[in-house]
Amino acid sequence: MTAGWLVRPRWLSLRRGLRNRPAQGAVVAVLVGAFWLGLFLAVLRLLDWVDGLGGLGAVLAERMLALVLVALLLMLLVSATITALGVFYLAEDLTILRAAPVPLRRLHRARFLETLMASSWMVLVVQAPLLAAYGVHFGGGLAFGLGVLASIVPFLVVPVALGVLLATGLVLLVPARGARDGLAIASAIGLALLVVTVRLLAPERVAHPSGLVGIAAYLADTGAPASPWLPSTWASEVLVAALGLRAGDAGFHAAVLASTALVLFLVSATVVEAVYPLAWTRAQIGRSRGGDRDRWAWRALRSLTALLPGQRAVVLSKDLVVFLRDPAQWSQLVLVGLLVAVYVYNFVALPLHGADPVARTVRKLATVLNLGLATFVATAVAVRFVYPLPSLEGRAWWIVRTAPVALAEVWAAKFWTGFLPLSVLTLGLAGTTNELLGTPRLLSVAVSPVLVALVAAVVSLGLAFGAHYADLDGRDAGRLATGPGAILYMLTAVVLIAVVVTVTAGSVDALLAPGRGDEPGATLVARGLVAAGLGGGIVVAGGVTVVARRFGLRALARLAG
Amino acid sequence: MIRCERLTMRFGDVVAVDRLDLEIAEGTIFGFLGRNGAGKTTTIRLLVGLLVPTSGTALLAGHDIRRTPEAAKAVTGYVPDRPYLYDRLTGYEHLEFVAGLYGLQGREARSRARQLLDELGLGAQAGDLVETYSHGMKQRLALAGALIHRPPILVLDEPMVGLDPESARDLRRRLRALAAAGTTVFLSTHSLAVAEEIADRIGIVDRGRLVAAGTLRELQAYEGGPGASLEDVFLAILAREAV
Repeated sequence: MTAGWLVRPRWLSLRRGLRNRPAQGAVVAVLVGAFWLGLFLAVLRLLDWVDGLGGLGAVLAERMLALVLVALLLMLLVSATITALGVFYLAEDLTILRAAPVPLRRLHRARFLETLMASSWMVLVVQAPLLAAYGVHFGGGLAFGLGVLASIVPFLVVPVALGVLLATGLVLLVPARGARDGLAIASAIGLALLVVTVRLLAPERVAHPSGLVGIAAYLADTGAPASPWLPSTWASEVLVAALGLRAGDAGFHAAVLASTALVLFLVSATVVEAVYPLAWTRAQIGRSRGGDRDRWAWRALRSLTALLPGQRAVVLSKDLVVFLRDPAQWSQLVLVGLLVAVYVYNFVALPLHGADPVARTVRKLATVLNLGLATFVATAVAVRFVYPLPSLEGRAWWIVRTAPVALAEVWAAKFWTGFLPLSVLTLGLAGTTNELLGTPRLLSVAVSPVLVALVAAVVSLGLAFGAHYADLDGRDAGRLATGPGAILYMLTAVVLIAVVVTVTAGSVDALLAPGRGDEPGATLVARGLVAAGLGGGIVVAGGVTVVARRFGLRALARLAG
Repeated sequence: MIRCERLTMRFGDVVAVDRLDLEIAEGTIFGFLGRNGAGKTTTIRLLVGLLVPTSGTALLAGHDIRRTPEAAKAVTGYVPDRPYLYDRLTGYEHLEFVAGLYGLQGREARSRARQLLDELGLGAQAGDLVETYSHGMKQRLALAGALIHRPPILVLDEPMVGLDPESARDLRRRLRALAAAGTTVFLSTHSLAVAEEIADRIGIVDRGRLVAAGTLRELQAYEGGPGASLEDVFLAILAREAV
C-alpha cells in the first residue's frame, strides 16, 4: 500500500463531485480564470507604472515581490497548521486508517500531500498570475520558468512541514479541536493586523505629486530589507536573479530552499512517526465544557425574544446561541471588524477634503457611491453570516422539518437574525462616512429607507442562495462563504446594488445641490422627482426581497434533513 | 391512527416505496421490518413529512401529511435512525428548543424537559453540550425530544441502535407503557427479537412493497406455521417474494 493509495478516496470524491456537478465546476473554473486574468493584468499594469518611475522601478518591483512572498509564506504557515490539525488528527476517516496496518511513514506522506494541496491552492491562485505577470513584463523566458519551478514547490513545502510540526506540538499540549478554533481566531486577527498595517502604510502615497519623495517615504516605512533567514527571501532571490533584475546567485538560493524543504519534510516525518499514536490519542479528547456557565446566553435570548410571534422566537434563540458558541464565527467577526475599519479609514485617508474642484467632484461621487458601498460592505458581511445560515442547521435540520413549524417562520427567524444587525451596521456606516464627507444630514435621512430596503433585499437574497446551495454537512461558515453559491450570491447582490444606486443617483445628486429638491424654493416637480428616484430604489429592493423569499422558501422545502 | 393510502416514493427510476396501503389502530405498536434498503427509512421519512411522496399520502390522527403537514406533525414524535442534534446546545437547551417548536412555553416546557432528562438518565448531563454526549446519550435525548409534547403517535427508526442493554430494556418497557396509555408506535427495527417481544402487529417490506402485515400469529398462518419464530417467518416470506 503506497501513500498514493491512501489519498485515493479524496481524489475519487473530488473527481466524482466534478462529474456529478459539472456546472458548479465550470462556474468555479470561470471565476478562477477571471480572477487570474484580472490579477495578471493588474500586476502587469502596476509594473508598467512602476517602470515609469525611473531607476527606482526595478527596486520597487523587487520589493513588492519580496513583500508578497513574505505575506504568502505567513498565510501558508497559518493555513497549513490549521489544515494539518484537521487532516492529521481530526478527520473521521483516520479511525479506519489507524485500525488498518498502515505504516506511519506512509500515513505521514499521504496526509502531508493532502495538507499541501488543501492549504496551498489559495496561495497558488494568487501566486501564479503574479509570477506570470513578472515573467511577461521583464521578459523572463526559460530562465525565469526554471526559477519558478525550482522555487515554488520547496516554497510551499517549508511552511507545510512547519505547520505539521506545529499542529503535532499543539495536539500534545491542548485538545485538537480547541487548538484549531484558537488558531482560526488567531489567524483572523493576524490577517486583520496585516491588512490594517498595509492600509496604514497608505500605498497611495507612492502616487504623491513629489514622486520620489513619496516612494522614498513608502520604502522607508515598509522597513528594512527582508531577512536572509526567511524562505521567502530565498525564493525572491531565485526569481529576481532569474528575471535579471539584479545579479545574484540563483543556484545557491534554490539549493538552500530545496534542502531546507527536504530537511523539514524529513523532520516532520520523523517526529510524526515517533509521537503520532500518543498525539492522535490526545486529539480524541473532546472539549467537555459544561453548559451552565453559558446558560445565561440561552436564558437571556429566550427572555428577549419572548414577545415574538409563533415559533420564530425559539428558532432565533437557537440560531444566536449556536452562533455565539462557534469559535469559527468569532474569527469571521474579526474579519468583519477589519472590513469596517478599513472602509471608514478610507474616507479619512483619501483626498476628499480639499476645496479644489477635483476634491469636490470626488466628494460628490463618493457620496453617491456611498449608498452602494455601505450596502456592499453589508453584503460582504452577509455572505459570511447570512448565506451560511441554512447550511448551519446541519444534519439536525430534521428536528425543525418534522416539527409543526411553517417554513415561513424559520425563514422569518433567520431573516431577522441578519436584517436587524446589518441594517444597524449599514446605517451606521453610511451615517458616519457621510458625516466625514460633510454630506447634508437631510440626504443621510432621505436615503435611509433605501438603505434599509436594500439590506432587506441583500439578506433575503443571501438566505435564498444559502438555501439553494445549502450543504448540511458543511459546518464551517468560513468555507461555505467561499463556495460557488456564495460567489454567485455576491455577484447577484452587486448587480442589485448597482441597479438601485443607478435608480436613486439622480435623487442623491439633487439633494446634494442646494436649491434643488430640499430647499423651500424647490418646485413640486423637483421634489417629486427626488421622491420618485428614492421610491424607485425602494420598490426595486422590495421586489427582490419578495421574489428571493419565495425562491428561498421553495429551496428550504426541498432540503431534506 | 396512522393510515397510508397508496403511498409511493420514486427517486428517478428507483421505486423506494411502492403503493403502500396500511392502517394502524390507536394504542398499537407496529413493527416495520425489512432488509437493508427495503424502503423502511424512506417510508418513515414520508410519514413524518421529511420527504414529499411522489403520489399517495399518509394520515396521522386524521391529518393529511401533504395537505395539513403542520397539524400532522403536531401529533407526531419522531426519532431518526441517526440522532443528529445541535451540538452546541446543552441537553436541557435542546429539549427546551424542541418544546418551543411544538408550542410548549415557559414553566411547562422547562418542567417537562427536566422530567424527561431525569427519566431517561440524562439529568446529570443536562448542562453539558450535546457534542460531548455518546451515541447512546444522543439517542436518549432524541427520544426525549420526541416525547416532550406527549404525542399520540410515535415514529421511531431503529431506536435500539447504540443503546446499552439497560437503556434498551427501559425503552421497550416505556414503549409498552405508552401503547397501553393509547400512544400509537410505528417502529422500524432490524432486531426481530425486539419486534417479536413488543410489537402488536408486524409489517414486512421488500423492495418498497408491503408484502405481509398482521399479528405474529397471522404471519405464522401465512408462512412458517404455528410456533415458528418471527425470524423463520420473516425469512420465509422474503424467500417466497424472491421467487
